[in-house]
Amino acid sequence: MSQPRTLAGKPGLSRRFGRWNGYLFLLPALLFLAIFVLFPILYNVVLSLQDVDVYNLNGEHHFIGFDNYEKVFKSSVFYTAFRNSAVFTVLSIVFQFAIGFALALYFNQKFPGYSTMRSLMLLAWMLPVVIIASVFQWMMNGDYGVLNFLLQSLGIIDEPRSWLSDSRTSLLSTVVANIWTGIPFNMIILLSGLQALPEHLYEAARLDGASRFAQFRLITVPLMKPTILILLMLGIIYTFKVFDMVYIMTAGGPVNSSTVLPIYSYELSFTKLEFSQGAAVSMIMFIILVFIAIAYLRVMNKEEVQ
Amino acid sequence: MAQARWKPIGMSVIGLVITLVFLFPVYWMVKTSITPITDVFQTPPKFIPTEISWQAYVDNFVRDAQMLRYIGNSFIVAFGTLLLSLLLAVPAAYGLARLDLKGKAVFMIFLLAVQMLPGITMAMPLYIMFSKLGLINDFLGLILADVIHSLPFAILVLRPSFLALPKGLEEAAMIDGCNKFTAFVKVVLPLVKPGMMTVSVFCFLFGWGDFIFALTLTSEDAVRPLTLGLYRFIGQYGTEWNNLMAVATIAAMPIILIFITLQRYVVGGIVAGSMKE
Repeated sequence: MSQPRTLAGKPGLSRRFGRWNGYLFLLPALLFLAIFVLFPILYNVVLSLQDVDVYNLNGEHHFIGFDNYEKVFKSSVFYTAFRNSAVFTVLSIVFQFAIGFALALYFNQKFPGYSTMRSLMLLAWMLPVVIIASVFQWMMNGDYGVLNFLLQSLGIIDEPRSWLSDSRTSLLSTVVANIWTGIPFNMIILLSGLQALPEHLYEAARLDGASRFAQFRLITVPLMKPTILILLMLGIIYTFKVFDMVYIMTAGGPVNSSTVLPIYSYELSFTKLEFSQGAAVSMIMFIILVFIAIAYLRVMNKEEVQ
Repeated sequence: MAQARWKPIGMSVIGLVITLVFLFPVYWMVKTSITPITDVFQTPPKFIPTEISWQAYVDNFVRDAQMLRYIGNSFIVAFGTLLLSLLLAVPAAYGLARLDLKGKAVFMIFLLAVQMLPGITMAMPLYIMFSKLGLINDFLGLILADVIHSLPFAILVLRPSFLALPKGLEEAAMIDGCNKFTAFVKVVLPLVKPGMMTVSVFCFLFGWGDFIFALTLTSEDAVRPLTLGLYRFIGQYGTEWNNLMAVATIAAMPIILIFITLQRYVVGGIVAGSMKE
């Protein structure tokens, strides 16, 4: 409070100086993002066009054009990883969203304890992925896992299965764990949308004799459209880049049956130490995400105009 | 009449069943951690333990100092992430909300985009960059990497709190003798405490739960956080499930405590972080 205001006597200068002063508030964050986000991404672009591997990491690098991309596109693992990523993302989103929506509709009703119950579920989303992955690994264990026991008692399977080390079920097992952690996120977002819906529309519909399903189809879904679209877009972006859940549960195996693109990029960079090829894969991922993100921003702008 | 009275209770019962089934994995984690190792390999498994053993906790946290070191490292990284995020995000969110600056919209779209970056896309260039800067196996390196993901979130979630403050607040404070800086610190900041709490909780969660940067930017146990400790444990003692679940339970403890005490901030943060205002 006692700090002297040196520029107080010169209003013109003060105003001009004040305008730039405003940017000083943004400066620390801007500098940080420039150094630790923009620069690494640009560096990644450069890396993907060079020939950097473990042998010349600290030596001389040469630009080799799009050779790394060519190598990646010629490798069959890339297509496996691409397909797995697509399957992982689509299945995760469909089930997270459907189950999340059903739960949101149920917990949007008022009954004793409803708010405690729905926030209890949030725990599944807050826990670190490493924990979730290791718990599901244990539950899906082929010898002593509780999942085999439950499915056998229900008569769904005849004999125990090794869910994670069987190439037919490894990817699906990681999807199940990912769905579990994503459900509360979907539920909370949809609940906040549902709570904002005007009650009088439903009253009017009830007076007109509209069934529950008709109310859902004609009022809830159209009014929830912006929330639903944004949620699905965000879901796709966040699911497409999932690394830890898959890496911890299966590490992409057996024989690449659950390798998704982030795992493939990691393997190239940190296991095979082919840094430039890893950079190329992560640039391809980046470009796919940019397209999804542009679609996301368009949806958001469109919904805001309406 | 009777039907109307019983309906909410019936709904509560169904709701409770849904919640319990959904949270079964959490129960199974805790249950396995207090099961004697001989009972872990029992078929059929016991759903309610008849005998409780704290052996796994004693073995991993009392006898083995390494786990305690991992926990300490996790706290350093999580609190470091929280502090650095707030330090950078609070002024930026304030500027974006209350000052007339050109290029604000572009900056906010950029923040949204940064949030969408895959961890692995950042991890590799950061690895090479940090090798040259000597930030591999360094808490600062881990914190800087974690802030990449928490900072955009923090700014975007804090901005609406500043927007909601009444216009002319700073001017009023300046008439009362504050300058721009003291008006910000003494008048504005206390009013956005709830928003700062939300952001703090999330930044802590980001830092505590990080795996990919811990995996790629550290190779020494001296700086590795608990998430990586747990992961290495899976590889080393893959079949000692009670030990593994005890470590997982301890790693979940701070999150469960935050969940119990600061839950309302979490719900607010999820909604604010995904919707635009």
